[in-house]
This record gives sequence, C-alpha cells and structure tokens, in this order.
Amino acid sequence: MNKKLLSNILFYLIVIAIACIVLFPFLWMLVSSFKTQVDIISWPPKFFFTPTLQNYQKVFEEQDFLKYFLNSTIVGVVAVGFSLVLGLPAAYSIARFTQKKLSVFILLARLMPGISFLVPWYIVFSRLNLMDSYLALILSHMLIALPIVVWIMSTYFNTIPREMEESAMVDGATRQYAFFAIILPLSGPGIITATTLSFIFSWNNFMFSQVLSMEKTKTLPIAVYNFLSYAEVDWGGVMAAAVAIMTPAIILTMIFQKYVVKGLTMGAVKG
Amino acid sequence: MSNVILKNVVKRYGSVAAVDDLSIEIRDQEFAVLVGSSGCGKTTALRMIAGLETATSGDIFIGDTCVNDMPPKDRDIAMVFQNYALYPHMNVRDNMGFGLKIRQMSKKDIDARVEEAADILGIQALLARKPKELSGGQRQRVAVGRAIVRKPKVFLFDEPLSNLDAKLRVAMRAEISKLHRRLGATIIYVTHDQVEAMTMADRIFIMHNGALQQIGAPMEVYRQPANRFVAGFIGSPAMNFIDAKVALEDGAMFIDAGGFRVRAPETFRSRLEPYLDRPVIFGVRPEDMSLHDATAGTGNSIKAHADVVETLGSEIFVHLTCEAHSLVARMEAPDSPPMVGDMLEIDLKMAKTHVFDRETSQTIV
Repeated sequence: MNKKLLSNILFYLIVIAIACIVLFPFLWMLVSSFKTQVDIISWPPKFFFTPTLQNYQKVFEEQDFLKYFLNSTIVGVVAVGFSLVLGLPAAYSIARFTQKKLSVFILLARLMPGISFLVPWYIVFSRLNLMDSYLALILSHMLIALPIVVWIMSTYFNTIPREMEESAMVDGATRQYAFFAIILPLSGPGIITATTLSFIFSWNNFMFSQVLSMEKTKTLPIAVYNFLSYAEVDWGGVMAAAVAIMTPAIILTMIFQKYVVKGLTMGAVKG
Repeated sequence: MSNVILKNVVKRYGSVAAVDDLSIEIRDQEFAVLVGSSGCGKTTALRMIAGLETATSGDIFIGDTCVNDMPPKDRDIAMVFQNYALYPHMNVRDNMGFGLKIRQMSKKDIDARVEEAADILGIQALLARKPKELSGGQRQRVAVGRAIVRKPKVFLFDEPLSNLDAKLRVAMRAEISKLHRRLGATIIYVTHDQVEAMTMADRIFIMHNGALQQIGAPMEVYRQPANRFVAGFIGSPAMNFIDAKVALEDGAMFIDAGGFRVRAPETFRSRLEPYLDRPVIFGVRPEDMSLHDATAGTGNSIKAHADVVETLGSEIFVHLTCEAHSLVARMEAPDSPPMVGDMLEIDLKMAKTHVFDRETSQTIV
C-alpha cells in the first residue's frame, strides 16, 4: 500500500515538474502581456503588478491585426482545403494499393527542412510575379498540410476494413463511388485530426510567410515582427500579439483534443 | 442460366500459387460449397469469381459471359462477407437498398424490394437501426438481405457464419439452406467448417494447397474420399490413420498395422493385391468403431487401452491407444460407459474402412 502511495506521489511530482517546464514560458508570456514595458524588464521580476490592457490596445488598434488574422485564416483554410482535396485520394491510394515508395517520398517532403525550399520558391514566385500573393503562400503552406493529410489519412484508411468498399463494388459501385459514398463518411475522425493539425501548423508557420509575403498578405506570426525594431523591442506588444495568435490554435486544440492526440500518436507528425 | 465455370484458373502471389490450375463448373441453381483448411485458396477463388482479385491466368465464366476483365459491379453477383461489411453510417434499410440505389431504381421500388427481403429474413423491425445496434445474428441477416434484394445471378458467401456462436450457426445454416430453395439461386459458399459443407451443399468442392482435391455430393465425399486429405478433412472427429502394410496369409488378405492385424473384406482384394507387402495407410472412421459385440461376430476386433472418455450425452468419444497407435472411437453412449484405463475390445466395421497409398496419399479402396 505504502509502495503504491509512494509511486503515485513520485508520478505526480514528475508530471508537475514536466508541466512546469512546458507551461512556464507560456505563463510568462501571458503575464507579461498584461505588464508595462517597465514592469517587464524590471529586475528582479515583478510577480505583483498592476495589470494593464495597453499592450492589447496597441495590437488591435495601432496594428491592423484583424487583416493579419484574416490573411492567416484565408491561407490556412485554403491550403488545408486543397490539401484535403489532393491528399485524401492520394492517402486512399497509398493505403489500398500499398504504395510504400510514394508514402516515403511524401514523408520525406515533410522531413526536409522547409528552408531548403525557400530559395527556389523565392526565385519562381518572384519571376511569376506571385510574391506577396495568396497563391504563393497557399502553395507553400500546402507543403506543410499535404504530407500531414496524406500520412494521417493513409494510416486511418488502413483501419477501415477493405470489405467495406469491396462490398459496395460488388453492390454495383465503382471504386470512386465507393470512396465517396462509403469510405469518406467513415473517415470523419481522421479528417478532423488531419485538418486540425495541418491548420495549426499552417497557422503557426513563420518562415514561409516571412519570405513570400509582404504587406498585403502578411500573416499573424509575421505581424509580431512589427513590435521589433532596430531601436527597441516592445516586449509587451510582442507578448500580447503572441497571446492573440496562440488563442485560436489553443481553442482548436482543446475542441479537437481527442483527435489531435490520436493524430500525434499515429506517429504521423513531426512535432 | 447462371452457372459459373472456372477454366484452368491460377492465382499467384509472387512465387506462391494461392490457386493452382482450378477447373470447376458450378451448375445453375446449385448450392456449391468450397471447403478446405486456412490458406487452401478457397476464398481467393471466390474473390476471383467476384472480381475482387484478378486471375493470373485462366478464364472465369458467369453464364455464357467470360468475366475476366469485367469489374465486380457488372458481374451481377452479390456477396456476403465474413465480417458482414455493413456500412456503419447507414441504417439497415439504406444498407439493403444501397445496390438498388446505385442502379437508379425508384425509391418506391427500392422500398418494396427491401421490405420483401426483410419479410423473408424476419428483420422488418430492424430497418431503422444502425449496424452497431444489431447483434451478430441480426447483422448476418442484414448482410444476407442486402444480397438478396438485388436478385443477382449468383450469390457468393465467404464464411458468413464463422463469427456466430455455435447455436446461432446451426439455426442460420438451416435458414440459408431454406433461402436457397426459396430463391432457386446459384450459391457458392466458402467455409473451413466441414459440418457446414456437409449439411448445406448440393456438391462439395474440397481444396488443399490451392488445388482441387475432390468434387462430390456430401455423402459421396464422405463414403468415397479421393485421397487421404479428403478422408481426414470430412467427418468429425477425423478419420484415424494408421501406417500398415498389406499381408497375405493362408489365402486371406490382412491389414497388418504392426500392433494389430485385421482381415480385409473380400471386396478389397482385387485393389489391394498390387500392394502386397507394401506400405499403406489404413483409415477407419471413429463412428465405424464400436465396443465388441460377441453376437455380431465381425471377427475384426482390436484390443485398446482407453486414455480419455469424452461424454457428449447421446454419444461418447473414446481416445484409445493400441500398441503404438492412437485412435479415437465415436459410439453411442452405453448404459455403463468405459472408464479411463480400461482395456477395451473394439470392433471395426471393415467394409467401411479405407486404405490409402502411402506414397501418393490416393485412395486404394
């Protein structure tokens, strides 16, 4: 009994320690977003202070944050949408016709550092006059979303018995009809997982937007940059902007927590 | 005409032949059962008839049409899968009407067909339910219902009863047989269960290692097995096989198993003569062994030691050891059943025994 109690205490101590390490930066950011610049940089750090909303006012009033929000949403939704349109049939094909080489190739695209795509993209998009266009950003974000969709969904389709579509095909359906009428309606949980994860990764992406977007298509992570200048760093603004950016992602994760965890445990996603 | 013909059909996976040169004809309105142990190629053969697998070589005909390159949807067949494959997101009515909807039949006609099939199978009350709200037996009926609403040329059943409990299996066996008589359809039924094959089939097609072993009516394959595999596969408990040799003494022919020797019936003589002094396998079914009856006077009894006695109510299985040979006997339960450890005298019904060539495993007699 004592041994069990001891192991329980040890377990929770470890959990709390890990949670502290993980949550500390987030809490620091949240608390700092309500501090003045003076309070933020004071030493020793102030744990008791008068909260202020001036950082959030700056974010939403001085900066065109809603535009950036809209840009991120457009890029994320369209990139994920196109990735689903292309990725679902590809994943089905990989699952049913065991195309291992193709699946590894797609995974490689995900594992390669994104920065290696940037130089060619920059050249191609600037020659096509597509810099600072939604199309360029959407295509680049599909590099993030498409492998996630393909990898998660091919694993998911493997869990659906083949007999489902075989039965539909014997009943008179073509394979395509069976896919749309039988397989897709059964794939809801997988599609939610893939959509949520790929949208969050697109939402948080900094590098592609930093190079390929300018004022017109600037997305939220780039907008944080507005608070950094050569002269000073507006830490309060950065923190408030970061909180504003993270909130939709956190809400999405909390709503679809079950599916997100499942997606991550499918071993499908590079964290 | 909805007969099904397979001509020299081969299915290879790499270097392995799952189905090896299979040539069979399933007649119009016949209840044909493909039976064999796991991996014998029976399901692959069925899937090739359905169009879910492509034959490596050979031809498949349904009616007069060669269907080699025809997709499953155009073959006018219906299939009941082992795991039923009901569409979980559709209720029973939509599951059953799915094939008719694809054929763009009117809703009124679909409803009429679905209700007719539901009526036959006694599942009218389940039409609004989803598959997850059904028991195993009910799902099985829905799967059969989905097949019969389409009134196809040929029905294919892939081990449809293997997920049911023993009692339900017996009931469904009888129902599928009744359904066959009622619909007058051609049915190809795959199972590994020889009891299903024996009880339901017009003809049994026994397969082993991708090759056809024997075709015949149930009692034909039981009484005249083509080889040792068929003899051991059909019948429960399985036939006892004993290594022996054929001996001739004072003009009489004997089966000499080393530990015991029994006299072969005169009807065996002509077929056994070429095997004199050669090794053979002697086969005797458990049900052709009984406790010695002095009045019957068969003269062919053996002495064996009772190792295990299994009581099934109306009958008993007695596991015996006779010298180095292990045997099982199946007999009506006597008033005082034998006890473990008893030395029993067992009569063999020699006219019903078999002898197999030890090299080729083919039946000699």
